Amino acid sequence: MQGVYIPINYIPGDSIIHKIAPIPKFIWVLGFLLIGFSTRNPAILGALVLFGFIMVFVAKVWKPFTIAFIIWIPLAFTTFFFQGIAPAFPRPWEPIFSFGPFTVYQIGLYSGLTLVLRAWAVTIVALVSIFTTHPGDLFTSLQKLGMPFELNFILTMTLQLIPILQNELYVVLSAQKSRGLKGTGFGALIPSMVPVFAGTIERVSQLSIGLESKAFGSKTKKTSYRNISMYPKDYIILVIGALVSAAITYWIFVDKSLDWSRTFLFPKPVAIAMITVAVLGFLTYMIFVIYILIKV
Amino acid sequence: MTKPIIECQGLTHIYKNTVVAVDNLNLKVLPGEVVGIIGQNGSGKTTLVKHFNGLLKPTKGKVLIDGRDTTTMKIQELAKTVGYVFQNPNQQLFAKTVESELEFGPRNIGCSEEEVIERREHAIEFFGLENIRLSHPYRIGFPLRKLVGMASIYTMKPKIYIVDEPTTGQDHITTKRVNNLINKLRDEGATIICVAHDMILLADIAQRMIVMKDSKIILDGKMKEVFLNFETIKSTHITPPQVTEVSRVLLQNKKIGKDDLCLTIPEMTTLLKKKIK
Repeated sequence: MQGVYIPINYIPGDSIIHKIAPIPKFIWVLGFLLIGFSTRNPAILGALVLFGFIMVFVAKVWKPFTIAFIIWIPLAFTTFFFQGIAPAFPRPWEPIFSFGPFTVYQIGLYSGLTLVLRAWAVTIVALVSIFTTHPGDLFTSLQKLGMPFELNFILTMTLQLIPILQNELYVVLSAQKSRGLKGTGFGALIPSMVPVFAGTIERVSQLSIGLESKAFGSKTKKTSYRNISMYPKDYIILVIGALVSAAITYWIFVDKSLDWSRTFLFPKPVAIAMITVAVLGFLTYMIFVIYILIKV
Repeated sequence: MTKPIIECQGLTHIYKNTVVAVDNLNLKVLPGEVVGIIGQNGSGKTTLVKHFNGLLKPTKGKVLIDGRDTTTMKIQELAKTVGYVFQNPNQQLFAKTVESELEFGPRNIGCSEEEVIERREHAIEFFGLENIRLSHPYRIGFPLRKLVGMASIYTMKPKIYIVDEPTTGQDHITTKRVNNLINKLRDEGATIICVAHDMILLADIAQRMIVMKDSKIILDGKMKEVFLNFETIKSTHITPPQVTEVSRVLLQNKKIGKDDLCLTIPEMTTLLKKKIK
């Protein structure tokens, strides 16, 4: 079945990252989250983004990564622009320049830049982990670490539901387009969403009956077809990930000079160039979306 | 010579640059024909018919509907000419009542309000939906829901109907009803393309049979001609109607001639009566 998919699922491969056990990768994701949300330093966040891109390159998942990550481009432009003119920071705000009713502030650009870098860093590492880890392997590993089977199962089923719903939405949209419906925009929402939700509720109802009839919830020890082994290299990667994350986080909390929010100043020409790119990027995206809505 | 209403010229469809679902296929369907398309799952049947209403566009080749190239038309535009009845009505129905479900299509193609009401009433009468006209489509049984799905396409008055597995999950009564409805549509002059595994249904309604295997058409002709190709049919793992199987055995034992091959029970009854005499 052909459809419009956002390919956020496992991509089989034989890269080094594919071969790492799920738990060390999980620790690395937690490390990225910890560092990413502990600092507003653009250099550290930029390094995380750069490291993330290297991981994408090593994992050889450029194609699905680009499709999934492209969603972030217009969001980045929007975030950057709105932070620039209305910073999520306490005053005082030092103005750089004004155009019309808008004033662009130093702290606003700084906030926009760090927000975008943080979001990118976390998204990139999460995507790399999803692309290179079989969900079954991840949940088997988490179960070994003591995660309750029921919770694990709920997470597995939720992940499975995403591609199912994407496929269902494609079929429903096809059915409605065949009845002359313009297949995009708000007008397509109700005719498309009602069958998708009705189908999902029915599917969940049938699934729960199926699970009950197969003794789901019994308290016996659960086994798995998938056997996950941790090799010495996995332990080394796990320990390195945990230590490096802890060390950088400690450094961030101890060294107050890493907070560049009041010292990192954008020269006026650079600020104008950045805001222009953000506005043009955002407008181009909007024009593209409107064009697609009219064309389809 | 009658101009074909559907024409495929060297149609090829490749999914994601790797899977060839339809391979260099040529096909002409004349107005008013009832064509059954059969084949194993994955043989390319659904991919082929999805080109007829523009849900898929050819990777190579052309599909002409009523003389117009589908690549130059939107699905919504094609919907006026080609109606696609999906296998699962749940994927089509969303409105609060059967009535409003039937009004949805004609409104989308720009019919006036009077025309919408007229078409709705005609469909309710044609499909016998009087008793459920105000019911919620999800509160009626699956067989009736399937009829509502068909009726919702009927209100758009397309020249061509694509019917995907119309009898799957249906009881005998509804199957018979679907059978009669398709024959009624044929009598109204519609062209019908029926994708099905139900050989008994196809034996009843189809004048022409297309057999697909491995993305290609391997047989195309009248029902009896197609079922006379025993070995080819066997290779597709398609099971002909039981009466056809019985008459095939009789034919192989030279008890009957090729013209006596039966597709339906009435045909078999007539043949047996003739033989007993």
